Amino acid sequence: MPKCKKSEGQAIDYASKLLPSAEEEPFEEHLKHCQDCSEAVASYTAVLDLTDKAQDELTVPEVALKNIEMNVYKRLAVTQEQTLLSRIRAYFVSSGSPFGWYKTAAVSSVAIALITTVVLIGKPFQSEETFRLTESQSADARIEEYRQQGIQRNLEEVLITHHLRNDAWETESQLHRMKEQAHGTNWTKVADKHLQSLQSGDSTAQ
Amino acid sequence: MDKLIDDEMLVAQFQAGRQNAFDELMKRYKSKIFSYLLRSVRNYEDAEDITIEVFFKAYRALEGWQPKAKFSTWLYKIASNLAIDYHRAKARHPVYALEDTEIPEARLVATDLHSDPEKQLEEKERGLLIREAVDQLSPKQKAVFMLSRYEGLQLKEVAETLDMAEGTVKIHLHRAVKRLQTLLRPLWENNEI
Repeated sequence: MPKCKKSEGQAIDYASKLLPSAEEEPFEEHLKHCQDCSEAVASYTAVLDLTDKAQDELTVPEVALKNIEMNVYKRLAVTQEQTLLSRIRAYFVSSGSPFGWYKTAAVSSVAIALITTVVLIGKPFQSEETFRLTESQSADARIEEYRQQGIQRNLEEVLITHHLRNDAWETESQLHRMKEQAHGTNWTKVADKHLQSLQSGDSTAQ
Repeated sequence: MDKLIDDEMLVAQFQAGRQNAFDELMKRYKSKIFSYLLRSVRNYEDAEDITIEVFFKAYRALEGWQPKAKFSTWLYKIASNLAIDYHRAKARHPVYALEDTEIPEARLVATDLHSDPEKQLEEKERGLLIREAVDQLSPKQKAVFMLSRYEGLQLKEVAETLDMAEGTVKIHLHRAVKRLQTLLRPLWENNEI
């Protein structure tokens, strides 16, 4: 490349627009008199233009980004469940079961049973804590966002993954709204149950 | 949520228990991180999986995060480390390595129905040749080049992301550009790109 080795790094920095501003003007002056460096700058600029254009073609379509958030929360929810299982296992281990190697089998059986319950029956760990929190407006906003993104059908999953765990389902109007938003899912039954409890004045069901 | 709130403020809100703050951070960065990983791993599904992993790790570590560097730099650091792990695993199990042509380009490139299909094909081939040249850079050169050139990180931020001295980043960048010139020059002299 340029015979003017002294300026090769500068030529790359200049083409990359990384040359410090203090060096820019003297280098531009140098370019006027140095054909090697001028050619080098032109060549490096061409290389960078080509790679920029080629990389710009690798754009991520909007549809690919839709499920990122939900998958992150699903992954977190699975970890929370695993943490619970590991706590159960730790309990068995620390309790010093007299059954020797049967201990591991017992823990495994409990773990399998719990996982099977999650898969077949659904959310045994989905406690009613979910409905005790605040910021109901944000729940609406997020549900609306999912609706707009066409993933309203996944509302139940969103609830299961604690995505809305900071949101309130405390008052009658909130529960009615939840029932409406969760239409077509088992969460309508949950809303009904809470509504009934609320109407009968049983505050412990909240 | 106010878009003018800076990332570090959102992190502080998250640490104070405001879940929405993490949603906003994901919203801000999921596209950037996905694009960065797609360029690095060159496989659509893997890039998606690693993007999820990046935010999963970020969520779990964010509670104890201290603003020693920018949040975005920290996020890119997680992504870079996961990309390195991915490439290492791929090198250990080459039988599972995918060819570049297996990237579902059709899903990634916007399609103009009125454009010339032949020209589109040429463009696709050209893009492929250039990206193959970028893939031939050493892992460090490639990481520095991509973070600096495509993600718009300052050299200092690239240095923080990759745990390198700033001078080393510059050396890798110079070598990357020179290597690309060597690889691409014959192609453009032969009118292949």
